[in-house]
Amino acid sequence: MAQPKISVDLILSKLAEDAEKAGESVQKASDVLMENLDTEIAVTPYDIVYEEDRVKLKHYKPTGDIQLKRPLLVVYALINRETMLDLQPGRSVVQNFLQEGIDFYMIDWGYPARKDRYLTIDDHVNGYMDNIIDFILDKHHVDKIHLMGICMGGTFCVIYSALHPEKIKNLVTTVTPTNFDTNQGLLHIWMKDMDVDRIVDTYGNIPGDIMNLGFLLLNPARLMIDKYVGFIENMSNKTFVENFVRMEKWIFDSPDVPGETFRQFVRDCYQKNLLIQSKMEVGGKRVDLKKITMPLLNYYGKYDHLVPPEACELLTSRIGSKDAEDICLDTGHIGIYVSSKCQREFAPRIVRWLKERDEDKKKRETKKAGPKKRAAKRAPKAAASALKTKTNP
Amino acid sequence: MDDKQKDKIAPEFIFADWIKTSMAFWESMVSMWPTADPADDKSPDSKKDGKPSRLQKSLESTQKTWTAWSRIISEPETMETIFKGTGEVPEILLKIAQTFTNSFVRFQQQWLEKAGKFQKSTKSYTFENLDEDAVKVWIQLYETELRKIFNIPQLGLTRFYQEKMIQSVDKFNRFQSNLTEFLRLLSLPMEKSFQILQEKLTELAEKGDLPEDSKAYYQMWIKILEGHYMTLFQSFEYTKILNKTLHSMSEFSEAKKELLQDTLLYMLPVPTQKEMDELYKEIYLLKKRIKELEKRP
Repeated sequence: MAQPKISVDLILSKLAEDAEKAGESVQKASDVLMENLDTEIAVTPYDIVYEEDRVKLKHYKPTGDIQLKRPLLVVYALINRETMLDLQPGRSVVQNFLQEGIDFYMIDWGYPARKDRYLTIDDHVNGYMDNIIDFILDKHHVDKIHLMGICMGGTFCVIYSALHPEKIKNLVTTVTPTNFDTNQGLLHIWMKDMDVDRIVDTYGNIPGDIMNLGFLLLNPARLMIDKYVGFIENMSNKTFVENFVRMEKWIFDSPDVPGETFRQFVRDCYQKNLLIQSKMEVGGKRVDLKKITMPLLNYYGKYDHLVPPEACELLTSRIGSKDAEDICLDTGHIGIYVSSKCQREFAPRIVRWLKERDEDKKKRETKKAGPKKRAAKRAPKAAASALKTKTNP
Repeated sequence: MDDKQKDKIAPEFIFADWIKTSMAFWESMVSMWPTADPADDKSPDSKKDGKPSRLQKSLESTQKTWTAWSRIISEPETMETIFKGTGEVPEILLKIAQTFTNSFVRFQQQWLEKAGKFQKSTKSYTFENLDEDAVKVWIQLYETELRKIFNIPQLGLTRFYQEKMIQSVDKFNRFQSNLTEFLRLLSLPMEKSFQILQEKLTELAEKGDLPEDSKAYYQMWIKILEGHYMTLFQSFEYTKILNKTLHSMSEFSEAKKELLQDTLLYMLPVPTQKEMDELYKEIYLLKKRIKELEKRP
């Protein structure tokens, strides 16, 4: 007898098997969902050491020995919240930094209210950031700090480092857009024709929910369907559910963005691409990237759909510093901070890089040969495949 | 009946007599007004030093005007003109009626022409793609014909409020039209992905390669869907409609805000957002100035 083209019996038996599994899964899922779930985010203890208007400065102090002479300041974006860096136990950049002995601070931009609609990029960079950095410099009796920026926060850090290079020892940018003239990411395509004046004049601040809807529309098949199909499939797994809910909490915790900051960011960056050309003006001063003379470590994700590699990789060639390095990870926008693969490498590598550049230039030159060899020995082989590095010549 | 008698019962004479009689009545009424003792009247209008009150003055003035007008009207020449004109009333009324009828017919014609335009617009679409064409036809009709109604100038004391209300309705309609078009565009990849999935499954069935695992079908579909969305999102049409929708949403939001702010909130003892924004700006500028001054050595 000839083989049937459609093996109906196999398909049906598989279907019956799946239905049985689904039934068991739903049973377990109801138990899991009604259990006491631990879905807290940002649980690592910190102190609020500085406050100005809505902005707070979080201080995370390592329990062990401090490895760097200078503290590190982490600047998050105005979109979503810095809690992403401490999303879940075992996958927390904050905890990794602490384990590595980093004394670090993180800016919590808070929730802008209607009264904050007039705040510009200048107010954020030359106002809040500068005041915070002065506060840290005074507190630690140092002349410079290490600065690390995330996404839009990275763009702020680039602007700050160009305007106040005397206060920054080393700069780390992660998924930071600086070149906006690209068609790689949909955001870059959509923003080009956006009537930003009309939107800002209407709403004052840009509502977080509208921004989130925009981000979901970047890939509705994955973000609005497949993600939840995945959740249904794994509902019986308590750890999965807890981590999923943590991520949902973070994603939809979206503060509004101050209107005037959004206006300038879209107009000067997305539409005119002024920053990478060193033509952008902040607080009446031109942001000259050549003034970034401190070492720069530039991280970005190969599959980042929000800030694609093209938007990040030009920076190292446009700054004044010769010590500039690009690291492209095989991951997306958020994966850099939360994927287990990147977790193993991301924070330790930043710490190593900072340690090598923590001391003053003269002292470092005397030890030049030593630390380099040690650093090379410590580089894990497994992670090397996930990294593609490029050093500025 | 002789001519004199005939003349006396002619309508103009009867009317003149009636006017004379009524004049005499009102003259006597005014003269009967009591010259009251000022001590009796404690009202602000009271006659002091025997002077007439404001009310009496007003009555006297009206009576004088009436007397003068009556005298003029009761003159035989005026009466004759009036009664001559009375004969022409039907003709005048007919003229007025004709003007009204003509205007009404013209108005109806205008509407018929507009209705004809509706038909003209709909003819250009074949309705092969019913949803797409229906949305496009509606948007075109609204923009070219219906929207004109919302732009008719408003008049009178409440003109301002009517205008705000009508504008917000117009902006809402435009936003709804654009949103419908945007949602239609968003639904296209869904529709297409199911079509392609069916074609693919037929092909696999013919080859005898149909997957046994139900999840494989889902994976196949989600990949097709993702691909179609990516193609759509990078298209010029999508960006254009997205921006149109965002723009109309902002316009509606603005109109709604103005309606609430300038008509309803304005009457309540609460500050409007516009007023608060002005205050916020002042506070912002003041704070900025203070911070600058504090930073100075």
